[in-house]
Amino acid sequence: MLDSAMGALRLLLWICAASPLFTAAAQNKVFPYPYAQEDLPNGLRLVTIPTDAPNLVSVYIVVQTGSRNEVDRGNTGFAHLFEHMMFRGTAKYPPEKYGQVLQQAGAASNAYTSDDLTVYHTTFSKEDLPVILAMEADRFQSLKYSPEVFKTEAGAVLGEYNKNSSNPQSKLAEELRKTAFDRHTYQHTTMGFLPDIQDMPNQYEYSLKFFDRYYRPEYTTIVVTGDIDAKKVRALVDQSWGGWKRGTYHPDIPVEPDQAGARESHVDWPSPTLPLLTVAFRAPAYSDTDKEWSALVALARLAFSPTSALYQKLVVTEQKADGINASMPARVDPTLFTISARVKRVEDMSYVRAQIFATIEQFQQQLAAADQLKAIKSRERYQFPLGLEDSDSVADTVAGFVGLRRTPDTIDKSFALFGALTPEDIRAAARKYLVESRRTIVTLTPPATSGGKR
Amino acid sequence: MKIAIAIFAFAAAAFAQVRTVTLPGKSAVVNLRIVFTTGAVVDPPGKSGLAKLTAAMLTGGGTKDLTYKQVVDAMYPMATSLGSQVDQEMTVFTGATHVDNLDAYYKLVRAMLLEPGWREEDFRRLKDQAVNALRTGLRGANDEELGKEVLYAKVYAGSPYGFYSQGAVSALEGITLDELKAFYKQHYTQSNLILGFAGGYPAAFPAQVKKDFAGLTEKDETKVAAVKPKALDHTKATIVEKNTRSVAYSLGFPIDVKRGDADYPALLLMQSYFGPHRMSTGRLFQRIREIRGINYGDYAYIEYFPRGMNMFQPPTNIVRSSQIFQIWIRPVEEPAAVYTLRLAMYELSKLIQEGIPAEDFDRTKEFLTKYVNVLTSTKDAELGYAIDSLYYGTPPYVKYVKDAIAKLTREQVNAAIKKHLRADRVQIVAVSRNADALKKQLVSADAAPIQYNSPPPAAVLDEDKKVGPWSIGLRAQDVEIIPVDSVFP
Repeated sequence: MLDSAMGALRLLLWICAASPLFTAAAQNKVFPYPYAQEDLPNGLRLVTIPTDAPNLVSVYIVVQTGSRNEVDRGNTGFAHLFEHMMFRGTAKYPPEKYGQVLQQAGAASNAYTSDDLTVYHTTFSKEDLPVILAMEADRFQSLKYSPEVFKTEAGAVLGEYNKNSSNPQSKLAEELRKTAFDRHTYQHTTMGFLPDIQDMPNQYEYSLKFFDRYYRPEYTTIVVTGDIDAKKVRALVDQSWGGWKRGTYHPDIPVEPDQAGARESHVDWPSPTLPLLTVAFRAPAYSDTDKEWSALVALARLAFSPTSALYQKLVVTEQKADGINASMPARVDPTLFTISARVKRVEDMSYVRAQIFATIEQFQQQLAAADQLKAIKSRERYQFPLGLEDSDSVADTVAGFVGLRRTPDTIDKSFALFGALTPEDIRAAARKYLVESRRTIVTLTPPATSGGKR
Repeated sequence: MKIAIAIFAFAAAAFAQVRTVTLPGKSAVVNLRIVFTTGAVVDPPGKSGLAKLTAAMLTGGGTKDLTYKQVVDAMYPMATSLGSQVDQEMTVFTGATHVDNLDAYYKLVRAMLLEPGWREEDFRRLKDQAVNALRTGLRGANDEELGKEVLYAKVYAGSPYGFYSQGAVSALEGITLDELKAFYKQHYTQSNLILGFAGGYPAAFPAQVKKDFAGLTEKDETKVAAVKPKALDHTKATIVEKNTRSVAYSLGFPIDVKRGDADYPALLLMQSYFGPHRMSTGRLFQRIREIRGINYGDYAYIEYFPRGMNMFQPPTNIVRSSQIFQIWIRPVEEPAAVYTLRLAMYELSKLIQEGIPAEDFDRTKEFLTKYVNVLTSTKDAELGYAIDSLYYGTPPYVKYVKDAIAKLTREQVNAAIKKHLRADRVQIVAVSRNADALKKQLVSADAAPIQYNSPPPAAVLDEDKKVGPWSIGLRAQDVEIIPVDSVFP
């Protein structure tokens, strides 16, 4: 349980797997399941999606609070810490009892946190839906933990940082955010800054404040999928979640000022690894109404996916890099378009960098080939249903979109935008966003003597 | 419903030379699992990684008529690919496609598996990738998987499972393209083949595939010598030294129980109680993480489970004729490292002596009876389990587990625990930057210290008086220190 890093990976996978999908006719629905979306008087939202999965039900509780909401200095990592604290029980369901109920339901249960959201998810046999919904309602409304328990859990969070820390990619991600952002909370990873994690045991009072601010019905959406009757689910939710009190807090998320010029940073990694190169650009937030974000998603695919000329050159033909990719994450606020390469020899770092620049320039000057754009649209069309394998993956996919716009409606909207993209849109996005004044480069290399031979 | 289909598949497989498993459904997605019952276990001496590279060459290289780029370009608009997984005794190729594209996709898959291109430049790239996966991926970036694989290598040293399925650096570097071709010819045979289909494929599709694969060589099934791990005479420890923040542990010993054996259900129940994968309800998780906040999680296994840090549920088509009992302790801050190992060993001893408590037994039974449905919730997982059941000769997995668990008594389970588990003659593997200091502390009789962020309940402090000095029976002469560069060299 509480595997946030895994959660972040799932979200990343979701970004790759389920970003806008094109249908030939924009009015076509690409999300294949009918769903109901209802708001309770207290502001809680319920999305129910019956699927043809026999016997199983998935409940995803999406709180639109992630590391983005950590606005107080010295308290980064709290959204993620809360993902842990939520398993620390209530008067009615102490942790032991909570665990026993899950066990008796044969449930697969976990949670994850990302920049914009925290998600609690459980998949189990349908007969256990009433007890699971009631128990979840109880912990969201009546979480109670002592300072001692809080300190103990802070140790597990540090343990999570430790298990991630042997991977150079984690360090690179930390450094990239720290370098690229000055004010916005995307400056830190979801884990938070290490000194803040180490100080967590002393922040019990702050944790209560954080919970009081964000664990409120207006921030929360419950997604229920699988072998369900939507009306019965609504009645159960009314019963156990209807009394939850609305909050008043609205975070003042710092706005990132325009970047003044190119930035660069370097990480000396203490042990052998292949050198890593990341070239990132400040880029727009997710949008289902404006084409720019979709155009950058398409650009990432056209210029840096395995079918791209650059990938074929660097990875397949010249074999100077053993991997290259680009991503345009879906985020609530403006974020980073990131190109990453793992280079085989330190000596080739500047060559690979120059090749990336040349590729960007090419997409700024020339229009993308129509057949390549068509292939990308086709891929998105087929990728989406391949990712909806069972009740859990349907709920997981929807939860990601709910974190952005609080409704599955945004799926069809953004897919329609993607389908309408033209080569001109992509060139315009490359010209506007992939420019020096928005750029941050971070490199990571091993100690000189060990360095990436091969 | 699921069970009925799987039984049908099992029966259908019985009279065919090439075994097939079919799970038809109404979905718009078609899943393929093309399995060869061969793998790293038949890598020749000094050629560790040959099976792995051969599979990689089929999925990551071109075909006779298409370059790798042409394959990628053709796959891309369909959002398809062909993946491979190579373990000791099984190699599986997996793919999924929208049924709209089944013909075009299968045409590519058929060419990739039956008419490989064997191009030198693809080979060079894939060999580099395999070497880097060991150097940069396993040794450089994943202390936990590193510890697990060193544990398996130690337990199975000198046996047919003695070499890592993903190869060793110098062996991979020395493998030639001709050796891949020879391996393919010898082991990618009809008798080693199992064809698996799930989802909305046309009724005639399996027969068509079967006909195409009839072109493979007809040979006897790959025979593997009995895998008999060497028994340890004492508890032993290997410390892998590398520059890393915290200490990761894996420990275990062989058990004479695999899927299909009489005590498998009992040990599966034990695992669900003691250390279910990535769940908070297990005894180890509760005592180490939940109550004491020492690390991120602690689990136990009775079957090989690679890549556990990236997966919530076990991969399928990893079949083995020999298994180990294993405890996975996620990274621990250095000052708590020795204490945590002793705590895990203390809990293991307690489990063996006292068994599963009565109050936990029925609940664990209920858990497993329901959770087994979650394991097979996707068509692909259902297909994977159906193939594994064919291999092990068990009924379909869900039925097998449910029927067996229903009959189990607490006495039977506790007897199986006593029979198969032990707290002595254990192989321990640690990954740490201060190997000498850790060695000294591990063999010391002094109480291992533990400091908490906040004082735990008195009962826990009382228990610590026992755990701190708990003897794990490790002697100085049984501890080896190896530099990380020497792992799978």
